[in-house]
Amino acid sequence: MVKSLSSALAVLVGLSAVPALAQDTPTLTIYTYDGFAAEWGPGPQLSAAFEPICNCTLNWVAADSSIGTLRRVQLEGDTTDADLIVGLDTAIAGEARATGLFADHGLSLEGLTLPEAWTDSQFVPFDYSHFAFMYDTDKTATPPRSFEELIALPDDVKIVVQDPRSATPGFGLVLWIKAAYGDRAGEIWEGLKPHILTVTRDWSESYALFLDGEADMVLSYTTSPAYHIIDEGDDTIKAALFEEGHYPQIEVAGILKSSDQQELAQQFLAWFASPEGQKIIPTTNWMFPVVDLGAELDPAFAGLPQPQKTLTLSDEEIQANSSAWIDEMLAAVQ
Amino acid sequence: MLTLPRRPLRIGVSATLALAIAGLIAAVLWSILAAATDAGGSSRVDIPHLLRMTSIQAGLTTVLSLLVGMALAWALNRLRFWGRDLLVGLFAAAIVTPGMVVAFGLLSIWGRNGWINQASEALFGISVSGSIFGLPGILLAHVILDGAFAARILLARLDAIAPARLKVGQSLGLSATQRFALIDWPAMSLSLPGLGAIIFLLAFTSFPIVLLLGGGPANQTLEVAIYSAVRLDFDLVGAVRLALTQIGICALVIVLASSGATVVAPYARSAEPQWRDGALARFLQASVLAVATIGFVLPLLSVLFDGMAGGLGRIFGNPSFWAALWTSIGIGAASALLTLFLALALGLGRAATGSRASRTLLGTPGYAYLAVPAVVLSLGFFLLVRSLGVRTDTAAPYVVILANSLLSLPFAVATLGPPLDAIARTRGKLVRSLGISGWQQFWRVEYPLLGRDIGLMLALAFCFSLGDLGVIALFGTQDFQTLPLMMFRALGAYRSNDAAVIAAILLIGTIIAFVGLPRLFERLSHAYR
Repeated sequence: MVKSLSSALAVLVGLSAVPALAQDTPTLTIYTYDGFAAEWGPGPQLSAAFEPICNCTLNWVAADSSIGTLRRVQLEGDTTDADLIVGLDTAIAGEARATGLFADHGLSLEGLTLPEAWTDSQFVPFDYSHFAFMYDTDKTATPPRSFEELIALPDDVKIVVQDPRSATPGFGLVLWIKAAYGDRAGEIWEGLKPHILTVTRDWSESYALFLDGEADMVLSYTTSPAYHIIDEGDDTIKAALFEEGHYPQIEVAGILKSSDQQELAQQFLAWFASPEGQKIIPTTNWMFPVVDLGAELDPAFAGLPQPQKTLTLSDEEIQANSSAWIDEMLAAVQ
Repeated sequence: MLTLPRRPLRIGVSATLALAIAGLIAAVLWSILAAATDAGGSSRVDIPHLLRMTSIQAGLTTVLSLLVGMALAWALNRLRFWGRDLLVGLFAAAIVTPGMVVAFGLLSIWGRNGWINQASEALFGISVSGSIFGLPGILLAHVILDGAFAARILLARLDAIAPARLKVGQSLGLSATQRFALIDWPAMSLSLPGLGAIIFLLAFTSFPIVLLLGGGPANQTLEVAIYSAVRLDFDLVGAVRLALTQIGICALVIVLASSGATVVAPYARSAEPQWRDGALARFLQASVLAVATIGFVLPLLSVLFDGMAGGLGRIFGNPSFWAALWTSIGIGAASALLTLFLALALGLGRAATGSRASRTLLGTPGYAYLAVPAVVLSLGFFLLVRSLGVRTDTAAPYVVILANSLLSLPFAVATLGPPLDAIARTRGKLVRSLGISGWQQFWRVEYPLLGRDIGLMLALAFCFSLGDLGVIALFGTQDFQTLPLMMFRALGAYRSNDAAVIAAILLIGTIIAFVGLPRLFERLSHAYR
């Protein structure tokens, strides 16, 4: 209590906001999104595991969102404190690359277990999952097996999705439908319209609507059921697998050109993409690791059904068309 | 003709602050334009459509909230019953409770899986739910938030009607309708323009509630488009253009509200009512109260229930909960005091001038921050702090306190402005004839009369400022956690039980502040006198 009070006072005079940095150890400043650095996220555990190895300090700086970290370094340009960004994803990697702010990672990255081959020279993948609709086995006995089956269900079967302009999964769904249906994407969205209960700003709001029983399905990740199995012992929440295939979200990290800690940053990324770093990811970020953890992967993850087919779009296609695709979606569900 | 005492110092301080606030907004927008590297201009937003939808929604919200607020204030002013203070506190708590909490509370009553539908299915085997999603859902959530707030402010006006006036009315044998028209309406109408402006601005810029309950992009606000321009498209010029559109429309509303003529209403401290309305009116009052209690209080009660079911122990055993609690209290207290200073300085200056133009000029900036889109504000503050050469993490707490104060300033001005005006106009002659100084006028005349309103204003500003950190979205917030932020983080990490507990604790704290602070300050101001 006394400690908390003094920390509250310290906040008021701005003391606690100054990171306590030891002078003699190097510091790696990492920009990330809020949930990654939060107490339940991977950040604290990664620090605890890596700091003794590198004899350095990891300084996590959290922006409110993944895209917020990119915008912050864009605004800061060469004067940024950031050595690394952790938490961009493949949907915005093309735009991030185009800023010219990122350096080559210089790692060989062999033996990754990603759903697609990895050739990116600037971004290092650190976890992935496929976008998918969750359903509750107590309420939905037979989930739809494709977008077309979902569309054919009675109109009172409701789904919740997120706004592609403010939430990563929302944008992911736009890419998923585009990758699966190409020119027919607008038609699919129009078909989904009567089923869309609402379009929320963030993932957390729509997921809460689903858990409260307001909707039958919610757009989330194939790994979401693992949280309910591991933390709540509840195996009634499952991902519906679609025959069209699923679009993945692959989260990546990149080193900034302006960093004066290139070697240390590379050392961190190499460790992070190794089994030592990766074993922290599944039960903190609730995503699949990018390497084979063998027996160290929680069985709840190992037992999750995986999509038959992974859909892809190139960085260039996404960068050139994302605005038009979002407009197409908004116009169709308006 | 008005006989206001000459108070050049009050007007001077007030004008300086008004200018500073307007200047800060200009600086925020300018810093964004300066950071825009290219012309951008890729924003492809159907602005007329958005404006039409938003204006309809905000207009309906404003009218409904004011009507509901007046009816509720009228009923609460007349009726005395056990638990009345708690109920008044609950009503007031709605507006400062995070909007998402209220929206989810609403759904747990009216939703497909809500209490009402569950009860109906259990009793009659039928599902009653039409969908709450769409414009009705947005309006219902907004009216719960804003109508209850309007009721709290208007109740303070009714409670402040001079006992002498009531006595005269009673001896004339006014009917309930006449009493409302001749005594209640003049007291409440003084607050309506300010309240209406606030409610319109809140509804106009509402973002998560509109998306959550709106049922899709058809019911959206400009804020979403601005968010998208700043974050997704990184079209800073376009974002400023959209922000200016929003500020322009809101400014029209604000100017209309703050230029309104002032009605002379006697101002005094409330007395226990001796004068009861007739049976029909009392029945109507009880009905209004019953409906409002079911409509407004049930969603909040459901938040409390869910929180209790979520497991208090796990949260209380978490040290970061206590750290977040103290941070929230520190931020809230500092912001509330700053808000009090700003609102008093602006309000005293505005009440000291009779000219309509200066009243508008002094009144407008106080509302302005409600019109600036949150994402623009956070980006602008980030750039400003950087251009001052200050480390963003060092500046974060101060920026939060300043931004929270400016955001709660409209509520403070709406709470304190009308009584300050009323005092200036009814006691101006007395003050002039006594020839006392401005300080003496404040401590001997204004402060003793304002005690309860100051308490109410502090409660509002305190609870409002407990922890919205949107303004430091880019600053680096991992070590800086308030209760609302902790709640949203829990929700974002699948931990909906923890989020429910924190929501309930926030709500309880808010109710305590609303019941306690007005009483405390009424007692303090009595003691001084």
